[in-house]
Amino acid sequence: MFVEYTWLVPLLPMICFVAVGLIGKRTPEGGAYLAIAGAAASCVISVLVAYEFFTSAAYHDPGYVTAEIEWFKIPGGFTLHFGYYIDSLACLMMLFASFISTLIFVYSKGYMHEQGAKKRRYYAEVSLFLTGMLGLAVSSNFLEMFVFWEIMGLCSYLLIGFWSFSHPEGDDAADNAASAAKKAFLVTRLGDVCLMAGLFVVLYSFGSLDYVRVFDAAAIHAVDQDMLVLGSLLIFGGVIGKSAQFPLLDWLPDAMAGPTTVSALIHAATMVKAGVYLVARCYPLFAQASEVMLFVGIIGGVTAFFAATMALNNMNIKRVLAYSTLSQLGYMFLALGAGGYLIALGIETGDHHLIAAGAAGYVAGCLHMANHAFFKALLFLCSGSVIHAVGTEDMRKMGGLHRKMKITSVTMLIGSLSIAGFPFFSGFWSKELVLETVMHASDYGAEGYLFTILWLLAVVTAFMTAFYMFRMWFMTFSGKPGHASEHCHGESPASMTAPLAILSAFAIGFGFTILFGFDALLSIGVEGPHHQFTVGAGEAKGFEYLSDIFGSAYTYLTIALVLGAIGIAHLMYNKRSVDAGRFNGGGESFVYKALTKRWWFPQLYDQISWKLGYGVARGVDFIDRQVVDGTVNGLSNAVAGGGELIGKAQTGDVRSYTWAVVAGVVLLFALMLALFYFIGGGI
Amino acid sequence: MDSSIITDLFREFTPMAPMLVMLLGALVMPAVSLGYKRRGGVAAVSLAAIAASLLINAVLLASGYSGEYGGLFGYDAFSGLMILLFQSVAFLAALVSASSTETTRLHFGAYSSLLLAATAGMMFVATADDLITIFVGVELASITSYILAAMKRKDPRAAEAAVKYVIIGGLSTAMTVYGLSMLYGVAGTTSLDGIAASLSTAGFSWAFGIAVVMMIAGYGFKIAAVPFHMWAPDVYEGAATPVSMFLATGSKKLGIVVFFKIFLLLFVAGSAVASFATEEVQYAFAIVAALTMTIGNVVAIAQTNIKRMLAYSSIAQAGYILIVMAVMSEYALTGGLFHMFTHVFMKGGAFLIVGALICVGVGEKISDYRGLGRRAPFLAFAMLVFLFALAGIPPLSGFTSKVILFSAAIFDGDGVMTQWIWLAFVAVLNSAISLYYYARVAKAMYIEKGESEAKLKVPAPFLAAIAVCLALTVILGVYPQLLLDFCADAASALFG
Repeated sequence: MFVEYTWLVPLLPMICFVAVGLIGKRTPEGGAYLAIAGAAASCVISVLVAYEFFTSAAYHDPGYVTAEIEWFKIPGGFTLHFGYYIDSLACLMMLFASFISTLIFVYSKGYMHEQGAKKRRYYAEVSLFLTGMLGLAVSSNFLEMFVFWEIMGLCSYLLIGFWSFSHPEGDDAADNAASAAKKAFLVTRLGDVCLMAGLFVVLYSFGSLDYVRVFDAAAIHAVDQDMLVLGSLLIFGGVIGKSAQFPLLDWLPDAMAGPTTVSALIHAATMVKAGVYLVARCYPLFAQASEVMLFVGIIGGVTAFFAATMALNNMNIKRVLAYSTLSQLGYMFLALGAGGYLIALGIETGDHHLIAAGAAGYVAGCLHMANHAFFKALLFLCSGSVIHAVGTEDMRKMGGLHRKMKITSVTMLIGSLSIAGFPFFSGFWSKELVLETVMHASDYGAEGYLFTILWLLAVVTAFMTAFYMFRMWFMTFSGKPGHASEHCHGESPASMTAPLAILSAFAIGFGFTILFGFDALLSIGVEGPHHQFTVGAGEAKGFEYLSDIFGSAYTYLTIALVLGAIGIAHLMYNKRSVDAGRFNGGGESFVYKALTKRWWFPQLYDQISWKLGYGVARGVDFIDRQVVDGTVNGLSNAVAGGGELIGKAQTGDVRSYTWAVVAGVVLLFALMLALFYFIGGGI
Repeated sequence: MDSSIITDLFREFTPMAPMLVMLLGALVMPAVSLGYKRRGGVAAVSLAAIAASLLINAVLLASGYSGEYGGLFGYDAFSGLMILLFQSVAFLAALVSASSTETTRLHFGAYSSLLLAATAGMMFVATADDLITIFVGVELASITSYILAAMKRKDPRAAEAAVKYVIIGGLSTAMTVYGLSMLYGVAGTTSLDGIAASLSTAGFSWAFGIAVVMMIAGYGFKIAAVPFHMWAPDVYEGAATPVSMFLATGSKKLGIVVFFKIFLLLFVAGSAVASFATEEVQYAFAIVAALTMTIGNVVAIAQTNIKRMLAYSSIAQAGYILIVMAVMSEYALTGGLFHMFTHVFMKGGAFLIVGALICVGVGEKISDYRGLGRRAPFLAFAMLVFLFALAGIPPLSGFTSKVILFSAAIFDGDGVMTQWIWLAFVAVLNSAISLYYYARVAKAMYIEKGESEAKLKVPAPFLAAIAVCLALTVILGVYPQLLLDFCADAASALFG
C-alpha cells in the first residue's frame, strides 16, 4: 500500500526545488524549511516503502517490485518507460540518502545562515540534487537512471561553483571554485560518455533498457557474452568518472571548493555513491565474467591505496576528508569486485559455496557504503562546524579546539574512530568483511594472486587511514591553539550540533546491523546457466560473523595496525615527541613532493585534456581557417569597398574554398571506389 | 479535423496552399513597405502571412490530408511536417527581425519579401515529387538567402560573407545540376517515382554513381557537411543574426530534406534489387556523417566568436542527422525528423539570444558574455538550457532526440540489430566533446566576472521568441510524444 507511492520519493524534493526557486525569497531562511520538509517527507515515505517491502511476503519471491508508465514510444521502435523498481538495494539507497540529506539540510540552516539572498539558490539546488539521487535509486530502467545521473552531475556543477561569484575568502578562492566546478563537470562527463555507450551496448544486446528485462536469466544467457563484457566495462567507465576512481580521481578533491555541506552531500549520501550503487545494481551483468569483476576490484584497490597516500600530508581539513572518501570508495569497489569475482567463478564451475562467499562481498560492499554514508557525513559536518567557527580550512592554523568545541570534537572523534576501523565502531565491521572477502577471493581462480596484492594494499590503506584521520583530529582539536583558533567563539548552534549527535549514533551503531540480519535483507538475483542463486534471501548469518571475524588472525593484525597508526599520530601530532619533518626531509623528499603534487595527476590531465585536446582543436581550426582560408582575418578588417572586396574574394580565399569543394568531390569519388572495392557491391 | 474549408478554397491547388499564401505575402511585401514608415508594420504583415500559412498547414496536417498536383507536388504527412518546420523557423526569424539592430532599415520591405520567398522555396522542396521542382525550390531558397546574408547594416563582413556564399553556392548548384542530369540520363524521367521504378529494374550503373557523388557534394553544401562546410561559419558570422538563425536552422534542413527525398526514395526502391549498390552509398554517408560531426565539434572548441562556435556546432548537428542516411530505416528517419525539430528550437534559441544581445551592445566574443548571469538572468539561463540541450543533457529535448536518433544506429524498428553501432559510439563521443565548448560559454556567463554590471534590457519580440524556444526545448524533452507520432507518420509516409 505504500510501495505504490514510491514515485513521491523523488517527486517531493522536486516540488521543493520548484517551490524554493519561485517563492524561496519570501519564506524564512530562504526556503530552508521547505527544503527540509521535502527531504524529511521523502525520508518518511522511504521508510514506509522499505518497511512494507521488507515485511510483506509478496515481494520476497521475485525480490523486487516494479511499476512503470510509458514515457515515450517510437512507433516501430522501442518504448521507453518511466517507473520505479524497488528492491533491497534501492531501499537501502533511498533510506540513507533521504535520511542523511535531511540531517544535512537541517545543519545547513545554521551553516548557511549568513549567506543572505544566496540561500534561495542553495536550497533550490540541493533539493534538485536530492531529486537526482533518489530518482536514481528508484529508477526502473537504465535511461531513467541516466537522466537522474545527469541531473545530479549538473547540480554538482552548480553547487561546487556556488562561491564562484563571491567567495568568502576572496577572488582566488572564487576562481578555484569556478575551475573546480568545470573540472568536476567535464571529468564526470568523460565517464558519462562511457556510461552512455554502455547503455547503447545494453540496448543493442537486450533490445531494452528496463531492469526487469535486462536482469533476466534467460535474457542474459541469450546475448553475446563478449558484448556483455564490453557493456559492463563501459558502464563501469561511467562509474569511474562519477565515483572518482583511478584514473579519474582528480576532480573530487578539487570539488571541495563548494560549501562544506555540499561536500557532505556529495561524499556521503549522493553523487559518488551513485557509482557504487550502479555497480551493485548491475551485479547480475558484471558477475557474468570474472575479468570484469577483477577489473572492478583492481581499480578499487589501487584507488584506495593512492588516495590514502595523498591524504597523509595534506594540510587542508576538507581535502584530507576528500581523499579519505576516495579511499573508502575504493574499499567498496574492492569488496564488490572480489565478491563478484567469486560469484563469476561460482557460476562457471557451478560451485554454490563460491557464490555464497561472493555474496558476502556484495553484502560487505553495501554495508560499507551505508556505514561510510553515516561517518563521512558526520566527519564533513564536523569539519564544517570547525570551519564555521575558525574561518579557515588550514589545519596548521587550528589546534586546541577541543576545549572550545566539545560536541564537535567528540563527534569528530567518533567519526574518526569509525572510519579508521577501530573495533566495534561501524566502520570496523564492514572493513573487516571487505578484507575477509578479498582474502577469500585470492584463493580461487587463475588471477586470484592479484587479490593477495590487493589485500596487502587494503591492509596498508587501513593503517594509513587510521594515521591520517588521527593526524587530522590531533592537529585540529588538541595541542596548542593555532593562529585561527583564537577567533573561535565556541560551539556551533544547535541546528548544527543536533545532526552531529544523531549521525554519531549511527557511526557507532550501524555496523552492528550485520549481526542482526542486514545480510538477510539485502538480496540480489545472480543467475548462471545452471543455477539461479538469490543472494541473501532471508538467510542471516547473524552472530556467525563474530566467529568469522574474531576467529581470524588477520583481524588482529589490522587491529594492531590501526592502534599502531593512532599511536604514531599521537606521538607526532599530539605529544610532538616525534618530529614529522624527519620523515619527509623537511618537505624536500621525493615522496613528500609526489604526495603534495598528488602524484602529478593534475598535470597529467592538463597535458592530456587541455593541452592536447585544445591543441588538436586549434590545429584543425588552423587548417580549416588559415591554410584553406588564408586571408579571412585580414579581409574582414581591410575590406572597405565592394569592388575591392570582390577583387580580394576572387584572388584569395574563395578560390581556396572552391578548391576544397572540388577536392571534396574527388575524395568522395575515391571513397566510393574504395567502398565498392572493399564491400564488393554488384557492379 | 476537417480540411474541407481549405480544399474548397484552393481546390486542386490544395497541396500547394501553404506555399501560395507565403508567396502572396512575399509579393505584397514591397507594396506594404511603401505604406509603412516603420519596420514594425511590415513585420506584422509578414508575420500575418506566415501565420496564415502555418494555420493552413496545421489544418492539413492534423486532418491527415494527402494529395498531389500534376505529378510535381505532393502533400503528405512528411511534407506537411517539413513545411511546419520551415514555417516555425520563418516565424521566429520574422518575429525578431524588425527589432534587431543588425537587419536593414531602409530595405526592410525587400528583406521581409525575401524571407518569405526563401521559406516558400524550402516548402516547395518539402512537397516536391520531381527533380525539376526540387531544383527550382532549392534555387529559390538559395538565391534569396544570398541576398539576405548581404543585408546587414554597417558591416563589411556581411558583404564578404555573401560573396563567398554566392560563389560556393554557384559551384554547388553546378554540381547539383550535373548530378541531376546524370540521374535523368540514367532513368529517362525526372519524376522521383519514375526514377525509383527505373532503377529497380535497371540496377546500378556508373552514371548513377557519378550522379550520387555529385548530389552529395551539391546538397552537402546546403547541409554544410564536411568537406563542403567551409562557407558556413563565415556566412553565419557575417550575416545579421536573425538571418544566421534562419540559415542554420532552416536552410540546412532544406538540404537534409532533399537527401531524404531523393536518396531514401531511391534506396527503398533500389533495395529490392540485389545488384543495387545500397550498402556502399550508405557507408559513404556514414563516413561523411562521422567526419561532419567530428570536425564540427573539434573545430568548435577553438572558436572565440560565439556565432562561429554555433556555426560549427550546427555542422556537427547536421552530422548527427546524417546518421539517418547511413542507417536508412524508418525508425532512424523518425529520430532524424524529431532531431531536426528539436534542433530548430535549441539552436534557434541560442542564435536568438546572441542576436538579442547584439541589439543591446554585447559583442559576439565569448569573452563578452562574462558576467551575463547577473546582467541578464533570464537570457543567461535560457542560453544555459539551449547549450545543455545541444550537448544532450537530460531531460532537455536534445537528449531525447539524440537518444532516439543514436539508438537508430543500433537497431532498426523490427528489433534487428544494425551494423552501425560504431556510428552511435562516434556520435556519443562527439556529444561529449561538444560539452567542452558549451561549458565554456556557461562558465563565462555564470562564473567569470564581466567588466560591466549594468542590467540588460532586450527588445520584447526577442524575449517572446526566446521564451517559445525555451518552452519547446523543455517540453519536447520531457514529453517527446507530442511530436514523435507526427514524425513517425511522416517517416512511414516517405517510405510509402
